[in-house]
Amino acid sequence: MTKTHEAAPVVAFAGAVRTFGEVRAVAGLDLTIGRGERVALLGRNGAGKSTSISLLLGLDEPTAGEVRLFGEPPQHAVRAGRVGAMLQGTKPVPRVTVRELVNFVASSYPNPMPVDEALELAGLGELAGRRADRLSGGQAQRVNFAVALVGDPGLLVLDEPTAALDVAARRSFWQSMHAFTQRGKTVLFSTHYLEEADQNADRVVVIDRGRVIADGSNTDIKQAVGASLVAFDLQGRSAPAGLASLPGVLSVATRDGRVQLRTADSDATVYALAQLGPVRGLEVTSAGLEDAFLALTSPATTSASVFSAPTQKAGS
Amino acid sequence: MFGQIAPVNQYVKLELRRTFRDTGFVIFGIGTPVLMYLMFTNVGGKADGSSGWAVTAMVGLAAYGALSAGLTVGTAVAEDKAAGWLRQLRITPLTPAQAVVGRAVTGSLMVLPAIMVVLLTGAIVNGVRLGLGQWVALILLLWIGSLPFTMLGLANGYALSAQTTNVTNVVTNLFLAFLGGLWFPVSEFPGWLAAVARWTPAHRLGQLGWDTVQGAAPGLDTVLVLVSWLVVFGAYAGYAYRRAGRRA
Repeated sequence: MTKTHEAAPVVAFAGAVRTFGEVRAVAGLDLTIGRGERVALLGRNGAGKSTSISLLLGLDEPTAGEVRLFGEPPQHAVRAGRVGAMLQGTKPVPRVTVRELVNFVASSYPNPMPVDEALELAGLGELAGRRADRLSGGQAQRVNFAVALVGDPGLLVLDEPTAALDVAARRSFWQSMHAFTQRGKTVLFSTHYLEEADQNADRVVVIDRGRVIADGSNTDIKQAVGASLVAFDLQGRSAPAGLASLPGVLSVATRDGRVQLRTADSDATVYALAQLGPVRGLEVTSAGLEDAFLALTSPATTSASVFSAPTQKAGS
Repeated sequence: MFGQIAPVNQYVKLELRRTFRDTGFVIFGIGTPVLMYLMFTNVGGKADGSSGWAVTAMVGLAAYGALSAGLTVGTAVAEDKAAGWLRQLRITPLTPAQAVVGRAVTGSLMVLPAIMVVLLTGAIVNGVRLGLGQWVALILLLWIGSLPFTMLGLANGYALSAQTTNVTNVVTNLFLAFLGGLWFPVSEFPGWLAAVARWTPAHRLGQLGWDTVQGAAPGLDTVLVLVSWLVVFGAYAGYAYRRAGRRA
């Protein structure tokens, strides 16, 4: 490893553009990620997440602009074994065992971790002898994870790693991931779920229509979009006055006889709400991505300004 | 140098395991030419080692087995592309050249059992007798001569979808084998068809073997025609791989 590699940011998109015919899948993406950061790329389907990741891994080339990995063209960094990745829609390779597959991938990297360690980290200890194409969806995803990490790469890229998983598999996936990231690795993962971004990343980058629309710590994003929604029934009565000024509340909406409060602090909001009188049909949920988008893209919402705009970020 | 070859070895090892576990491939790929050989030489009068047909058909069907096995590698490649495995390979440190060479070597190794089983059947069932040097030369020449078909199979696999590859390979297989005179001697074709047949790779592959059993060295024209097809199919494979990389 040369000095330049140490100094260069791990990931650097500079005005990256990728068009498919008329469609601008990535429309001028600027993003820099430093060593040891855990970054979530948050965006809905078609926002440009997967295309950005393809550019980053050198699977595709930008129409304009530049993408660098460890200060090099992506393909060089990939050849040097600096990157491990889990791609979307990868089915398990037929007719090999989990161990054979992970072993092969390890052999292609210059400094892999022991295969047993990778299997252990991915929670595959007992499945090592099983055929990779005869596993459940959650188990197959663990195999993909083991494949991504066995080379002991400096950067781990995960494209919607939990997209097809149920709740239990999702939770155990993130536990495995934490075990790996504690080693000071740089991680970039994409997701639809704000909650996942919040729990597993230090920094959240929101992209929409192929560009960065918000970039900040997960505390920033919570404050901006409201981490949770508090809803209750009115039961025919009119909404009590002063809801908007309750602690934590960012916005108030009434729909079909139910009041929805977007709040940055659901505990404080619920406590204060109860002081106003009896509350019926109370429900507290995490804000979804759609809510985040409404909050971030709506011109009326000033809260999005807590994020540093990408254009300001680029100069720093 | 070792650093370049070691990853290819590992890749070949993995792919060979996968291929041999595909029992359907092993049984049909290796079994079909043997079955055809037995039918061609034993139905309607028993052929034995002394009859020219037992030897001619043995060489023709061993060449056919080599052609089939070579093309089959394409089906496996197309399957890998559909599963996303080719994409996953591209983000390992394995270079595209290493990946293609690894696949070609695997495909090429799969050709050997197909050739040897037909030759063994010839020797054991039909009592074909050749000198040891001739057997060895026959195996090596048919093996090396099948390389154009391995490249063609690979190219189809990179260029086409899994289902299209399958159909294309079956059609190519039957067309080349028939036109090449691997099943029925070209000498029984109408004159114009026989003239066309002599330019096909399958016929020249058979010719390598037929020359060998006659105790003759392969003709320069035969080698030139095969090398030309190897260049054409090799270029197609390289083009298809680069194109597959952009889309996959």
